[in-house]
Amino acid sequence: MSATTTKQAIATNRLLPLAAIAALMSIGAAQAAAPGITGPTFNLVATPAYISQPDGQTVYSWGYGCSAAPSGFAPMPKGANLPNASCSSMQIPGPTLIVTEGQTVTVNLTNKLPNAAGNTSILFPGFTLTNPCNGAGVQGLLTCEAPPNGTITYTFVASSPGTRAYYSGTQGDLQVEMGLYGAIIVLPNNVPAVCTAGLPVTAPGNNAAAQTNWGESDFRLAASAYDHPKTCYDREYLFQFSEMDPNVHSQALAQVTACSAPGAPNGCHLNVPTEPYHPAYFMINGRSMPDDMDPNYAMQYPHQPYNGNPHMHPGELTLLRIIGQGRWQHPFHEHGNHVRILARDGNLILSQTDNSSLAGPLLFTTTTTPGLAMDGIFYWTGKGLNWDAYGHNPKSGDGLAKLPCTPDANGYNTGAPTAVNFWEWCQDHNKPMQAAPFGDVPAGGPVTLPDPNLFANGPWYGGSPYLGPDATVRAVGPTGTTPPSGTIANSPTGEAGFAFMWHSHNEREITTNNIFPGGMLMMMLVDSREFVIDESN
Amino acid sequence: MTYTRCWIFLGILSAFAAPAFGQSFRVQCPTSTITHPDTTPTQLVNSSEPAYTKPTYPASSTDYTTGNTGGAVNGAIKCQQISGGDGYASMGDGTQTYMFSFGPLSGLPDIAAGGPGTVAPTTFNTPYPVNASASNALPPGYPDVMPATGAVDYHGAIGLANETPHIETVYDASESGQLVTIVLNTVVPFAVGDQVIISGVGPGYDSRIVSNAAVPWTVTKVGVPNPFFNVAQGTPNGASYAFQYTAIAAGLAEVAQPASGTAADVSKVTGHVDARQAMDVGVMNGNIPAPLMAIDEDDEFFLTLTNVGMIMRPDLFEQHTVHFHGYPNASAFYDGVPDASVAINIGGSFTYYYLAPDAGTYFWHCHITPPEHLQMGMVGQLYVRPRQNRWSGDLYTGLNTQQGDLRTACSSATDILCSNPLPAVQTGASNTGVLKYAYNDGDGSTYYDVEYPLQMHAFDPNFHFVGMTFNPEGFADMKDKYFMLNGRSYPDTVTSGPLQTPSVDGVNHFSQPLPSIISIPAGKRALLRISELNVSEYHTLASLGIPMQVIGYNAKLLRDQAGNNLYYTTNSITLGGGESLDVILDTCAVRPTVTTSTGTPGTGPDYTKCTTAITAGTYYLYTPNLDHLSNDAENFGGQMTEVRVTPN
Repeated sequence: MSATTTKQAIATNRLLPLAAIAALMSIGAAQAAAPGITGPTFNLVATPAYISQPDGQTVYSWGYGCSAAPSGFAPMPKGANLPNASCSSMQIPGPTLIVTEGQTVTVNLTNKLPNAAGNTSILFPGFTLTNPCNGAGVQGLLTCEAPPNGTITYTFVASSPGTRAYYSGTQGDLQVEMGLYGAIIVLPNNVPAVCTAGLPVTAPGNNAAAQTNWGESDFRLAASAYDHPKTCYDREYLFQFSEMDPNVHSQALAQVTACSAPGAPNGCHLNVPTEPYHPAYFMINGRSMPDDMDPNYAMQYPHQPYNGNPHMHPGELTLLRIIGQGRWQHPFHEHGNHVRILARDGNLILSQTDNSSLAGPLLFTTTTTPGLAMDGIFYWTGKGLNWDAYGHNPKSGDGLAKLPCTPDANGYNTGAPTAVNFWEWCQDHNKPMQAAPFGDVPAGGPVTLPDPNLFANGPWYGGSPYLGPDATVRAVGPTGTTPPSGTIANSPTGEAGFAFMWHSHNEREITTNNIFPGGMLMMMLVDSREFVIDESN
Repeated sequence: MTYTRCWIFLGILSAFAAPAFGQSFRVQCPTSTITHPDTTPTQLVNSSEPAYTKPTYPASSTDYTTGNTGGAVNGAIKCQQISGGDGYASMGDGTQTYMFSFGPLSGLPDIAAGGPGTVAPTTFNTPYPVNASASNALPPGYPDVMPATGAVDYHGAIGLANETPHIETVYDASESGQLVTIVLNTVVPFAVGDQVIISGVGPGYDSRIVSNAAVPWTVTKVGVPNPFFNVAQGTPNGASYAFQYTAIAAGLAEVAQPASGTAADVSKVTGHVDARQAMDVGVMNGNIPAPLMAIDEDDEFFLTLTNVGMIMRPDLFEQHTVHFHGYPNASAFYDGVPDASVAINIGGSFTYYYLAPDAGTYFWHCHITPPEHLQMGMVGQLYVRPRQNRWSGDLYTGLNTQQGDLRTACSSATDILCSNPLPAVQTGASNTGVLKYAYNDGDGSTYYDVEYPLQMHAFDPNFHFVGMTFNPEGFADMKDKYFMLNGRSYPDTVTSGPLQTPSVDGVNHFSQPLPSIISIPAGKRALLRISELNVSEYHTLASLGIPMQVIGYNAKLLRDQAGNNLYYTTNSITLGGGESLDVILDTCAVRPTVTTSTGTPGTGPDYTKCTTAITAGTYYLYTPNLDHLSNDAENFGGQMTEVRVTPN
């Protein structure tokens, strides 16, 4: 490690979230969804460009992009595209291809990589190509390849729903490392009626009623992940994990430059060593933290349009579409709850004795594996905390502090879609946490919180132990707990969500080229119902 | 929505609020709570686990704040104290490695014996024996110098101190019937219910003398209007100068301004910790693995983290936290992520509070700068034992009983994240309230005789050296060279008892309390609670000889939503950082069929009995990542230990 890098590492390490704070302040809260382009015909191109990393580096990379405007973008909340939705000629990950089960998909791929890079191609694991190698195509070892400046066509039927990876099938150790990968989402053709009616099952449609009440839009691509009633969901996110060894990229650039220089020999081609492999950048959707929490299609990342910034309300079933795109496995740890794995590579995992029952494991760490895609369902309700997360205080004079909680058959307050405490776990209703609280929250609980002078807090601290701006302001006032050093990304009066870190638990991967924090890390926020989650910004 | 109204209200409120702030080191371990009430004066009722017979909340209630309604009080209260600081550990090649680390500050003898430092309130709240002649006094240098054999040892919270009693002078004493009113020369510092000793006032007032010990009076009222100190005489709120109690007899004389009359409260424990003892024991006393925690379902767990600072890194003013890894439906506040919550500074204590989550093998670690603090050693083990252990009778019936409370129920139809629905097969297996299971399985299939926590971890000695010597660490270059089970490399893994490591002060400190010897009487079942906390790569652990039956993964029973067990048998498992897994090593070759609680044949094997055991002898757990069978430069050692099947 060079001396310069060393200095940078120590400074950032000790002054921890400054970079993160600065980035967040300039952008404001941003949410995620699973954006992509619709088909069923896709005109893709493989192109070189520079991508940006939060340590200030730009890295020479190759990616798939759109050779022409796509037929459409998804999702389209309120019938309109997400702001700034675009598909440039190169992006990492490649455009997320969104199709519907049963459609015949056509992908036209043009090779605009440097001549010295040779052929390129796309593999679609899980689908069977229905057309022969065509056009300028050259049959490669694994699939039909496009020579420099040539265009080829892949045709296949999107035979079954689910999330899958696509990636280069030509010299993959280099081309995938350089960024030639993406995701394909096949939406189910027969969304079960129970999913269409809406969740929760105890009060169908009430989540939609809550969205309407608070003016939220629906950012889902569909109401279910598969043609199966156990796969209904309320919200969804796509996370693609990959890592980069900057030495491979600088070698590739040097050789491309040399091969295109005057006097370079004919047939000059790349010979970039891909071992020993020593990655320094660890990315989710092509971005490292904190960039991954900036909006989708943010202007400052023209070649990294997709973010990773999940938000959800209590009780919402959140579909996670997770893909390993690099060379390494990464143990992706979801704080807050377990994830029920629905499927691997688009194959639903059902009980061998009862195909109405799921059989995938429950994981708090979802291992991403190269080439493997998985779908899972996550939710958070606060069930069993043994204290009222909303800080309801039956002795208060404030009506919002005295909301009722009427348990449904599962114990949740799902009958009140317009209430702040929709989906509250009623067994803990009015239960105090603090023995002698300062504010308008219940007293007589088990713990005494420390003097605020004795602790530090962070930018995603909501300002109090309680969930939501109403409870937080009642508990500690509008500035949150002193010192209000943090709370910038999760304001006590605006959001005051419960923030959970979702990150690689091979912890050295939550760094960006030796700088902590960075890498494969994002914050997931559970927001009480009054906060409007707008995934379009 | 406007918040102005709330804020004005708060402003008014704050004039009266007197939050209990100001104590830096403070532990919290109540003997009773709303969930675990105690109507008896013994304060022992929540210090032991009652049998599980019925749900806590059998039906929906309109008010859960008055304690349980209609059900049973289940579980108990458990407490633990740990230090956050630094220390040294011994590597398999004899090297001493510097660590950022947690150390035990409660249950120290239990930790030294390889057990959890989690104790009941009655134990935790024992005041620290500062008197050297006390029977449970600790020798100077404790815990590195252990008490003499046979001496009573101290298991409570290190440094827990009695409050200094208030001693106030008496202005006047009078009696009406048996009701005594004492007026002090100052505002009464006592509360109703406090025990107060009166002396020097006169016969009948002075606390009853029984066996040469003063028996205190119990304060019945505070704030008594009196003719001596009141508003008219220029003493605002003069009633606050007087309190009352009930005397044994009536007819006591009026006593005015007794020359030496005093009223004193009885010294009591409020959680105040004396910093001297906390620092004496806690500094440079880090362990790897960090102190073991073990709780039961339905327990309320109070974990106090006391930040004693890192002596070798005075340049760092690091906070530490505890992340309860894998806790379902965690709160952000107690999740230990400093970015999303609070983190305790040096010189302070923070008490984490959770109702025990579903049974399973979890683990815990610091969440400050995780690539650094985890690599440096701040990782520990934690497991939650199932309700089924406390049930007597048919296990299926027991699990069905748990369906009667929505918190403990698991319905595949309505909850996509529950893992232990009623089993598809009713085996007829039963418990007598003493058998141990890994999960609430309802069929006895997770029964075990012995259990061993097994933490897989690895150290990069270069990173640790750089971390000790005030230099910035690189992350991308991290390269682990010590590969450990429970913080030890082979052959230390098969050394029994706690390991000690000399620190920079030349004194030995307990550094690695847990051997990794898997000892199983032939024919019995061992539960390995395996967690993986290294920060750089995937590790594989293999069993030579005895197959590994994987029954749980990430603290969840392996069972599909239709109730079929999805256990699988293998001879190796692979884990990345932040994963846990439950393995049964079964040393029985042939078992009889289970007998139901009514004496009829059930379905499947009886895991508590063995017809034919496997051959006694030594088997091995080792890593097939062959470069990990090394201790830095020594190409022998690493992630390996012995499974000793002893003749039974």
